[in-house]
Amino acid sequence: MRRTLATLLYALAAALVAGAATAAPLDGTVIRDPHYGDALFHFYQDRYFTSLTGLMASQHFGRVSRHADEAEILRGGLNLSYGLHREAAQIFARLLEGNAAPPVADRAWFYLAKIRYQRGLLPEAEQAIGRVGSNLPPALEEERVLLHAQLLMARADYAGAAQVLAAVRTAGSRYMRFNLGVALIRSGDVAGGAALLDDLGRAPAADEEARGLRDRANVALGFAALQDGRPQQARGYLERVRLEGMHANKALLGFGWAAAEMQQPKLALVPWTELAGRDLGDAAVLEAHLAVPHAFGELGAFGQSLKLYEEAIAVFEREDGRLDESVTAIRAGRLIDGLLAADAGEEMGWFWKIDRLPEMPHAGHLAPVLAEHAFQEGFKNYRDLLFLERNLRRWKEGLDALRDMLENRRAAFAERLPQVRAKEAGTDVDGLAARAAELAAEIARIEAQGDAAALANTRENELAARLARVRDGIERIGDDAQAAELRERLRRVGGALAWQQNEQFAQRLWQAKKAMREVDALLPQARGRAEALAQAQRDEPGNFDGFAERIVGLDRRIDELLPKATELAGAQKAYVQELAAAALLRQKERLAEYSNQARFAVARLYDRAHLAAESRRDTQP
Amino acid sequence: MSIRCIRCLAVAICAALAPFAHGAGETTAAKDAGSLENRIQDLKADVIGLNRDLLVLEEELLFPANTQVAVFVSMDVGKLFALESVQVRLGDKVVGSYLYTPGEVQALHRGGVQRLYVGSLKAGKHELTAFFTGQGPHERDYKRGTTVVIEKGTEPKYVELRIRDSTGKLQPEFEVKVWQ
Repeated sequence: MRRTLATLLYALAAALVAGAATAAPLDGTVIRDPHYGDALFHFYQDRYFTSLTGLMASQHFGRVSRHADEAEILRGGLNLSYGLHREAAQIFARLLEGNAAPPVADRAWFYLAKIRYQRGLLPEAEQAIGRVGSNLPPALEEERVLLHAQLLMARADYAGAAQVLAAVRTAGSRYMRFNLGVALIRSGDVAGGAALLDDLGRAPAADEEARGLRDRANVALGFAALQDGRPQQARGYLERVRLEGMHANKALLGFGWAAAEMQQPKLALVPWTELAGRDLGDAAVLEAHLAVPHAFGELGAFGQSLKLYEEAIAVFEREDGRLDESVTAIRAGRLIDGLLAADAGEEMGWFWKIDRLPEMPHAGHLAPVLAEHAFQEGFKNYRDLLFLERNLRRWKEGLDALRDMLENRRAAFAERLPQVRAKEAGTDVDGLAARAAELAAEIARIEAQGDAAALANTRENELAARLARVRDGIERIGDDAQAAELRERLRRVGGALAWQQNEQFAQRLWQAKKAMREVDALLPQARGRAEALAQAQRDEPGNFDGFAERIVGLDRRIDELLPKATELAGAQKAYVQELAAAALLRQKERLAEYSNQARFAVARLYDRAHLAAESRRDTQP
Repeated sequence: MSIRCIRCLAVAICAALAPFAHGAGETTAAKDAGSLENRIQDLKADVIGLNRDLLVLEEELLFPANTQVAVFVSMDVGKLFALESVQVRLGDKVVGSYLYTPGEVQALHRGGVQRLYVGSLKAGKHELTAFFTGQGPHERDYKRGTTVVIEKGTEPKYVELRIRDSTGKLQPEFEVKVWQ
């Protein structure tokens, strides 16, 4: 039972989130915006909330523009998976208003059809499905056919549904073939439908999901044959159903009925006795508790029949008491708290992969309850609300941290502003620009006049200064021969220096011009930085105020939403508990009905015994 | 067969011959009528919108666009390399380390791109180094590094570290793409 439950729940959960799963891009899509890839990274790990909110933030910053339409499809699919039909419908409608490419438009029409179907707007859904072209990816195309067939079946057009499904008869999934079989039978083509279901009922099945569907096909065939007055064939179909699967109880019941129909109550006793020993949570088991004594009655074993009817009454009464205990435990919160303890979920809409029942008296009662779609949806919503509550509390604390950070920044800005202003005062960009202009003019003059000395390096300038000092010294010596020799030497050294400077002139001029170009490039940067600094000084206080206002606004929104989340979580918990309790109360009503039937049968048997005794007395001499 | 049994049989046949709706069959028209359900959906939509605004505020405050740098990890095929961890350094400082779960590796294989690091950098040149560890061909332990110098301007800078298979060399390759 554990495995069956887990499989069923997983299959349902997987189906529920299918809206999002098919919103992923096709395999092999090249990612052209890393932030779109980031949304997919979370999406592929089923972290839909992180994926959705991160994607929306990236859309705000305009950084998924190269995947604009695909991002919208993903956002719409994620909204749909959360049951946000209105938001999802708006997204897809907007996509269709724009100039969406055919693959995008087809997906949008498909999702619109799905949303409308889920909201019960069947004609509108059919209209939307009719707009889907031939550009859907294979996984979605199969879903489209299934949805179209469901829409047709919803208005009892079984022949139309069969026609739609037949188009993909060979390639279609097992579910499609099952639906096609059912549609054919309902449209009157019993032989065609039965042949299809028979194929499914014999097909090898690799996993539990496939085996479950195979069982279901065989049960459908078996009951259709019973209805058609072919009990022998019905037994053949029902024999194929596994004894431990989800459909085993129904098959055992039908198997017995087929035997009873063939006037073989003894044969019927075999499956019914097996069934009567099973968990009482299933209506088929309750039925078996009546069917077994009924078969004994048919066999003429009235004493045994009476005994078993009386035992059945006792069993039903005990079960009724157990159901009361279960209802009390559910209303005390033990079911919901137990389920949460087993799997609290990480994100909103997290898959429900529960594989064991919570610790409760008579936990077996809960298996059918937990498998109900309404309960699963209700519980998922409850868990989502708890997630939203946690999320809001986390952000409340996060905003406090952001507020502190902002205040620290504001204080640091105020503290550093005087230093920055002092430094700024020491940096006269206009003065620097004027000096740069003077230098540029000087370089132009040097170039025009070929003034190599103006580009002398430090050593040359020192040398020139020394030469000038030497020249002065020689002038003081007078005009003797030694002075003439010194003058000659001085002239030669001066000539060597001038020659060296002339030799270097072109290179030095080039270097001077290069340095000038660098200055020209740096000046606007310095001016830009000065302006940015001035701008920051003007803007930053305003920015701080802007952030502070946004924090206040967001904090207010959290404060508005948090009590709502808490209140709704409480209401939803009560609702889900009542949903579970109501299912058990319905089971109690069934028990009461079965008890009445058993009591009626007992009374009949007593009457019969009484009449037989009277008859015997009358016939005695 | 008793009348009771026949009645039950009819119910069972109807159930057995119901088409498999695969989760989408139940209309939610009735559900929509429930105000509790509507209020829950409204709350979900409000909280999703609020989260978007909070993420935007957080990013603008912590990583303004003019200083923002983000490092992403992606995988193209990646059959020649089973990723275990990545470490990212900016200059000498380790800014991000990540140990991957099988689910995360699978998400990368399917085309997801992980934003491994987001932070702030001054304008100018910065050296970014990434080290990848995992198992290479023939299940041998593998550690490889790759370095790139990025020029940070006033726009956000996105750097993607790509793991791809070099079928020619039968070796994994580690590429760096700087997004413009």
